[in-house]
Amino acid sequence: MSGQPEISVVVPVYDEEDNLPLLQREVTTAMESLGRAYECVYVDDGSRDGSLQVLLALRRADPRIRVVEFARNAGQTAALAAGFDHARGRIVVTLDADLQNDPADIPALVAKLEEGYDIVAGWRRERHDGFVLRKLPSKLANRLIALVTGVSIHDTGCTLKAFRAELVRNLPIYAEQHRFLPAMSAGSGARVAEVVVNHRPRIHGRSKYGIGRATRVLLDLLAIRMLSGFSHRPLSYFALLVAPFATLFFALALAHEWTRAGGGLDADGARAALVLLSVLAMVVVYFFMLGLLAELVVKASGMHGPGEARVLVKQMERGP
Amino acid sequence: MSGTARPVEVSVIVPVRTTHAHVREVCTALAEVMDRLGRSWEFIFVFDGVRGEAWRQAEQLAALHGERVQALYMQQSFGESTCLAAGFERAKGAIVATSPQYVQVEPSEFGRMLAELDRGADFVAAWRSGRVDPLFNRLQSALFNWVMRRIMQSSFHDLNCYLRVFRRQVLEDVAVYGDMYRFLPAIAQRHGFKVVELRVKHVAEWTGRSIYGLGVYARRLLDILGVVFLAKFTLKPLRFFGMVGGILMLAGSALIAALVVQNLLFEPGPIISRPIFLLGFLLLVLGVQIVGFGLVGEIIIYTQARNLKEYKVERVHEGPAAGGGRDGDG
Repeated sequence: MSGQPEISVVVPVYDEEDNLPLLQREVTTAMESLGRAYECVYVDDGSRDGSLQVLLALRRADPRIRVVEFARNAGQTAALAAGFDHARGRIVVTLDADLQNDPADIPALVAKLEEGYDIVAGWRRERHDGFVLRKLPSKLANRLIALVTGVSIHDTGCTLKAFRAELVRNLPIYAEQHRFLPAMSAGSGARVAEVVVNHRPRIHGRSKYGIGRATRVLLDLLAIRMLSGFSHRPLSYFALLVAPFATLFFALALAHEWTRAGGGLDADGARAALVLLSVLAMVVVYFFMLGLLAELVVKASGMHGPGEARVLVKQMERGP
Repeated sequence: MSGTARPVEVSVIVPVRTTHAHVREVCTALAEVMDRLGRSWEFIFVFDGVRGEAWRQAEQLAALHGERVQALYMQQSFGESTCLAAGFERAKGAIVATSPQYVQVEPSEFGRMLAELDRGADFVAAWRSGRVDPLFNRLQSALFNWVMRRIMQSSFHDLNCYLRVFRRQVLEDVAVYGDMYRFLPAIAQRHGFKVVELRVKHVAEWTGRSIYGLGVYARRLLDILGVVFLAKFTLKPLRFFGMVGGILMLAGSALIAALVVQNLLFEPGPIISRPIFLLGFLLLVLGVQIVGFGLVGEIIIYTQARNLKEYKVERVHEGPAAGGGRDGDG
C-alpha cells in the first residue's frame, strides 16, 4: 500500500471496452499533473463486453487502479454509490467512462473545491449532443431545478463532479439521485460551485440515454424538493403544496358570499358552487392527512435519530 | 444410495396443493435423473394446508430416504410463494429446483436444465413445447405471457410452468412474497441474473380445466400490476403516481379549458353549473391527490433507502497488482 490516496477518481463503467484505455491514459496525465496521491476506482456495472478484462489489464500496469466488480448490472447510480463506498480519498471526483467528459478538467475542479466548497459540479457549456433531443430538455430541466431547489446549477446531468468525501458518505444515494446531489446537499447546508468543463462528442459506443429521461426528471424534482428540505417535517411540505387549493377555497367562498348578497347565481349555480367548495375543502383535508401519514413514516424509520434525543433527555434526568 | 454424508447439491422444492398430488412419481422421476447424473439431492415437499394421500406418500418416501426427503405441513393454505419460501429456508443445496406437484414435463429434460446451469446460467426456466393441454388453455397462457413480455420487457414464453432450476443466490437476493413466484424468472432477470429459457417436452397437465373463475383472472391482473409497479417504480414511486395523476390533471384541465373557450366564443352564461365543468374539476382534484400518494411513497423510500441495497459487489480487485492474490481473470 502506498499510503492513503488524497483524491479518488470514480468511474462507473458499462460496456465501454473501447474507451477505457484512452480514458485511463488521460486520467493518468491529468492526475500526474496535479502531483497528488490518487486512486482510480472503476466500477464495472456488469458489462457484457470485455470491459472488465480491459480494466484488469490496466490494473496490472498501474496498481493505483482499483476495480469494483458488480455481480450483475445495477445501473449508473448504484455504480456511483458503490464508487463512493469504496473510495478512500478525501476528495471524490466522478467521471463518465464514455470520454465525453475530459479528464483534463479534473485539476480545475479540485482547485475550486479547495477554495472551500463541498461540491463542484461540471458545466458542459458547449454540448455536443442533438439540440432537440438532449440540449433543450436538459436546459429546461436545469432551469426548473434551479427554480425549485434554489441551487443554480446549469447542468445537473453532467457526471463530472468533485465532492468532499465525508459529505457524500452521509447521503442516501439511490435511483437517479446522483443527478441531484448538489441540490440535495445544498438543502442541508453544503456549499456548491460550478466550473465550466469541456464536452466532447462520442467516439466509441453509443449513447445509452434518451429523451424519456428528461421528462422523468421533472417528476423527480417535486420529490427532490421535498426530500432536500422537508424530509424531517413532510407535513409542512404537504401544507405548502395544498396552499394554492386552500387559497382558491377561500377566494371562491368569498366570491360566493359576494354574489349571493347581490342575488347573482340561480339555483343550479348555487348548487354547483357548493359542490366545488366542498371538493376543494376535501382536497385540503386530504393533503393534511397525507402529510400526517408521511410524518408517521419518517418517525417509524428512525432516520432522524429519535434515539439521540432520548439519550439526551435521559442524561438530563440523571443530572444533578 | 448410501451417500448420506455427501453434501446436498440440488434441493427440489415441491409445493403440494391438493391431497391427490403425485408426490411419489415426482420424487422417483426427478431423483432417477439426478442419480444418473451423479448429483446428490434432497426433496422438500411443502404441503399447503392439505394432507391426505399425498402426505402418506411423502411419509413413505421419508421413511425410505431418510433426511433426503422432508415434508413440511402448513396449517393453512398460503399459496405457492410462501411454500417456496418455507422450503427454501430448509434447502441445503447450492442449486434449488422447484417442481409442480406432478410430472409435468419429460423428466430427462430436468437433466438438460441442470446442465444449462453448469454452462453459466443463474436461472433456467422451462418452456413447455408440444403442449398437451386444451387449445383455449394455451391461448390464454400465450396471451398472458405476451402481455408480460410487453410490459416487463422480458423475453419469457412460459411463466406458468413451475419447473425451474436456479442457483441459491437468486432467492437470497430476490425477496419473493405474495404471488410473485410466478414472475420469478422475469424478476431474476431484472436483478441482473442470467436467465435462460429452455424448451422442454410437455407430457401432462394437472387439470383438464381451462376456463377459470372470474376471481382468478382478476387476481392475475392485480399480480401483473403489482409486479410491474414494484419492478419499475420501487425507488421512484412518484414517477408512477405522478404519471397517473398528471394524465388525470391534464384531462381535467383540458375539459375546463374547452368549456371556457366554448363559453367565450359561443354561448355566454355561467359555466360553473355545467356538469362537464364539475367533471373536469373532479379529474383535476383526483390527479392532485394521486400525486400526493406518490410523495408519501417517496418519503417511504427515502427513509428506507439504506435497507434497499441496489448493488451487489462480486469482488474488489485492489492491492498490489503483479497478477497475484485476489486478482485473476474474473
